[in-house]
Amino acid sequence: MADERPEKILAALGGAGNIIDIEGCITRLRCELQDGSVVDEAALKKAGAHGVMKMGSVVQVVVGPEADTIAEDIQDLL
Amino acid sequence: MSELATTVVTSPVAGRAVPMSEVPDPVFAQAMVGPGVAVEPAGGEQEAVAPVDGTVVTLHPHAFVVAGADGRGVLVHLGIDTVKQKGEGFTLHVVKGESVRAGQPLIRWNPDAVRAAGYSPVVPVVALDAPAEGLSELRIDGDVTTGEQLFVWS
Repeated sequence: MADERPEKILAALGGAGNIIDIEGCITRLRCELQDGSVVDEAALKKAGAHGVMKMGSVVQVVVGPEADTIAEDIQDLL
Repeated sequence: MSELATTVVTSPVAGRAVPMSEVPDPVFAQAMVGPGVAVEPAGGEQEAVAPVDGTVVTLHPHAFVVAGADGRGVLVHLGIDTVKQKGEGFTLHVVKGESVRAGQPLIRWNPDAVRAAGYSPVVPVVALDAPAEGLSELRIDGDVTTGEQLFVWS
């Protein structure tokens, strides 16, 4: 079964065009975005995020121990 | 409860045990990825060791996860926001996928250098995806030595 989280998370972050940089760090995705205000927190949580922390254009999405894999999958979608 | 279902998690560093809620990072402080305890490390260049027997399933210069045969993963994070140091000052002794024993040195680092760079060197030790009530005998204060019991995961 394909993991739908990367696609859903990418969409909730505003799509590929909104991503400047994304990297996995053990349990969270560290995302640098063009525009942090378009992030759909509810959609992120629906996609499996445990938590979302927004600091302007930098958004951290806590996804659990598979963060590194998810970040790589999202990078492949960019 | 059988003994097999219990994991004793030992300290990856020497220092002072502190409650996870005092870690200056909401992901750890709010136990978003699991409960545990943190250790404010003693200074000087030193080795961070494996907290349990198992396999290194995730490895970054500043953090690692060791999972036991039962699949339980223990996350050790050397300092807060230390990903920004891009591995500088951290020397890895193992590779991802390697089997390790509790107490085996995994990463050489220097908490003083982390502090000097403006980051907290506190070391969260997290029982990944464990329910809070799954942990017992938590050390949340006092000095701990490397390899000393931090908590029991059952």
